[in-house]
Amino acid sequence: MTRGTLRFEGRGIPVEDGDTVASALFRAGVRTFSRSLKSRRRRGLYCGTGECPNCTVTVDDLPGVRSCVTPAEAGMRVERGRGWPSAEHDLLHVTDLMHPLMPVGFYMKTFVRPRFAWPAAERLIRRATGSGRLPEGREPSRTIVRHAHVDALVVGAGAAGLSAALESARASERVLLCDAFPIGSQVAPGPALDALHAHEAEVRAEPAIEVLDGHAALGVYDGPTVAVASAGELVQVHPRRIVLATGATEMHEAFPGNDLPGVWLGRAASRMAARHGVSIGARLVVVASTDEGLEHLGTLVAAGANVTAAVVPAAFVDGVPPSAEAIVDGELVSARGPGRVRSVIVRERGQERRLPCDALVLSTGLAPRDELVRMAPGEPIELVGDAALAGDVPRVAGGYICLCEDVSAHDAEQAWAEGFRSAEILKRYTTATMGPCRGAMCGRALAAFAAARSDQTDRGAPGRTTARPPSRPVALETLAASVHEVIEKRTSLHETHLAAGAELGWSGGWKRPFAYGDPKDEYAAVRERAGLMDVGTLGTFLIAGRDAPALVDRVFPTRVADLAPGRSRYVLALDEAGYVADDGVLCAFGDGSYLLTSTTGGAERMDARLREWTHRLGLHVHLLDRTSELGAILVAGPRARDLLEPLSDDALGTDALPHAAHGEVTVAGIPCTAIRTGFVGELGFELHHPRSRGPELWSALMRSGEAFGVRAFGLDALELLRLEKGHLYVGQDTMPDDTPAKLGLDRAVDTSKEWFVGKAALERLAAIPLGRRLAGLTFESGPPDAAELRGTPVFAGGEIVGRVTSAATSPTLGRSIGLAWIRTAEGELPADGLRAGDALATVAPTPFYDPDGERLRG
Amino acid sequence: MTVRIPCPTCGERPHTEFTFGGQARPHAADDTEADFARVFLPDNDPGSARERWFHTMGCRTWFELTRDATTNRIG
Repeated sequence: MTRGTLRFEGRGIPVEDGDTVASALFRAGVRTFSRSLKSRRRRGLYCGTGECPNCTVTVDDLPGVRSCVTPAEAGMRVERGRGWPSAEHDLLHVTDLMHPLMPVGFYMKTFVRPRFAWPAAERLIRRATGSGRLPEGREPSRTIVRHAHVDALVVGAGAAGLSAALESARASERVLLCDAFPIGSQVAPGPALDALHAHEAEVRAEPAIEVLDGHAALGVYDGPTVAVASAGELVQVHPRRIVLATGATEMHEAFPGNDLPGVWLGRAASRMAARHGVSIGARLVVVASTDEGLEHLGTLVAAGANVTAAVVPAAFVDGVPPSAEAIVDGELVSARGPGRVRSVIVRERGQERRLPCDALVLSTGLAPRDELVRMAPGEPIELVGDAALAGDVPRVAGGYICLCEDVSAHDAEQAWAEGFRSAEILKRYTTATMGPCRGAMCGRALAAFAAARSDQTDRGAPGRTTARPPSRPVALETLAASVHEVIEKRTSLHETHLAAGAELGWSGGWKRPFAYGDPKDEYAAVRERAGLMDVGTLGTFLIAGRDAPALVDRVFPTRVADLAPGRSRYVLALDEAGYVADDGVLCAFGDGSYLLTSTTGGAERMDARLREWTHRLGLHVHLLDRTSELGAILVAGPRARDLLEPLSDDALGTDALPHAAHGEVTVAGIPCTAIRTGFVGELGFELHHPRSRGPELWSALMRSGEAFGVRAFGLDALELLRLEKGHLYVGQDTMPDDTPAKLGLDRAVDTSKEWFVGKAALERLAAIPLGRRLAGLTFESGPPDAAELRGTPVFAGGEIVGRVTSAATSPTLGRSIGLAWIRTAEGELPADGLRAGDALATVAPTPFYDPDGERLRG
Repeated sequence: MTVRIPCPTCGERPHTEFTFGGQARPHAADDTEADFARVFLPDNDPGSARERWFHTMGCRTWFELTRDATTNRIG
């Protein structure tokens, strides 16, 4: 029954019940399904089981779809990918005629010289290859990633796989059963399919078995871990053992003309005839030397196909229907074209005969799908069913070994003559087995080719190449699935910022406001009046316990032993190599415990560092990460205190809470730890408060500041504010091997301490002259907004001597300023003559703004 | 891909939950030259070695274990 039409290259093609895209197209007369990768040879339906590359088409803009296993739907848009101007009339087919001139390794041999020609050649080649155009502007799909821990993973849900899964479940194991296709979709209707579905029902009724049909096992990794993927899901399966019931494909043999449209593997032919009711040709020649092949012969005849001749071993003669001529123990020599199969040559008792036909059906052996075990030889993998067969050895007597990569037997001969004399290096040199079929078709042919020519007497496993994931084609977006696993951290003020029109961006795993409209205005508010900033993203840690003082003394190079209760200090964190890893502010309480705030992006690492040294030094410390539990709002600017005082009964003056002090205060009825900080260079209060009360505190502060013209400010304004103070961002202004001396932060290191992390390294490095230093720069005659200079190299004469790490134009100072690392000569920075882009740069002392810090002491 | 790491608190978990902390080593050396070797010249031998691991996505505990770098066998 017709179920509508699909669009194929502009024309409508009827879709019948049960059709695949391939069967619908074939019924409508399509014979050339694709053009081969290099030689642009016509390729038609061949394996019919989703293995070979021949039937790949573009479906609804998605290239590389195997039409033989894709159910046809009305309304689908189908095109053939390769071919210019079309797959039917491909002018690039001339490359096939040039094949003798394009040996294996052609690119490497030909496009080496002249070098300048390579980019142009590469562009041409790239345009000519590929299997279609990727759609542009398509929304990426979201692939779910999950883990599954089971006792047994059974790959393949045919009869053997279903049995293995049931057996395992009945032995009280948890089982995951996966199959690349829907269960039974590869089996023709009949008693076998009915039995399979009955079996399936039993499996599905078993609660210990999870069935993932339509999920392909892509690879086996250490552990073992098996990546199992469908279009929308990537499952990382961690089984104790793996059962491979992946079955076998029909063997691909290499003989002249073996890739012509009209050459069919038995499964494809009988499925097309019996399942889809499509005649594959007017005159068929069948070559069958397996039991399965004899069945296919029967199926084809029963479906009404005109089989003119059957090439069979003597034992099968009785199975050949009377309507067909039985050619006993004949040998298939070649298939003849042009363009499609028009005749085959068969050798019978030493005589060659030409048999006119338009379809050649081959069932000459089985090739177990064993690539998953060849991928991971050391893992606990058991093969069952057809996958456990030894398999047959294919003939290689011309034609194409590898359909995906267009590697002919002649190519392999040539590579062999060049000295590539094992299956492994033939694979690498010719790229045979490296195409979309992943060696399912050609792997055995390549191994047989190598084995026949080497001294090895064993033509089985040793010649097979190591398999590598993915075992089946997989979309890059599936492999990139975890890339989409983004954790967006938000402060309690997220909605408040959105309501205020903030532009949010990523910063250290958080979404934070960069600006609320006009960063210049925000900047001016902080310098002249007051500003509010959400700093709830800062890492916040409570360090307590008997050895808390010892821990902070040893983790930080900064002197902290003399830190009085109620006082805070800027601290550095070094790694064991003496390099600056992070920084923060340490606040001492009276009871030997501490509050540490660290940078937004470094909070996780700071937590790990504190725990690491607690463990390595054998200390007794309680560490509580309060980052997500506490919010924080920075109130900064000359009117900050005026803004706060109406909201609090606590003393906030310089006597009670001077610069670098901290204390417990209640603001707008909310308990806060207030830390007097000066990152922006103005009078500032960091109010750390219970997260749940953030919005309440924010609006109270906003209301109170209205009279002073308070503004919320974001990271853009902060960038300028901190740069004017010469404060650096660890990470942005530092390099991974910056010592405190290189950054001008010697004041944060107390070398008189007995020991701290990185001390020995600093002592060793002290003997070596500083190769570079981070320095303040002022710019003249540069761009109007000096932010453009960030990242540009610094030149002295014609030589690069540094790089600008931060730059901005300061309205307050009326000039452009920045930070840069600059190479030193005998420990000294060059005095002048520096350039960055078009700007003249001069080394200048920092801070640029309020060098004595009078404003922040307020 | 997945080695299972025995965390002293959480039991065996996939290694993707952990951060590798390098070869276990003393926290100080006798002099600055020995300290350089301590920090920059780990043995990196194939075979078994003591290593430090951090259960980043779990209990956030540091611990040591013995792992064979060739076979990934632990213990």
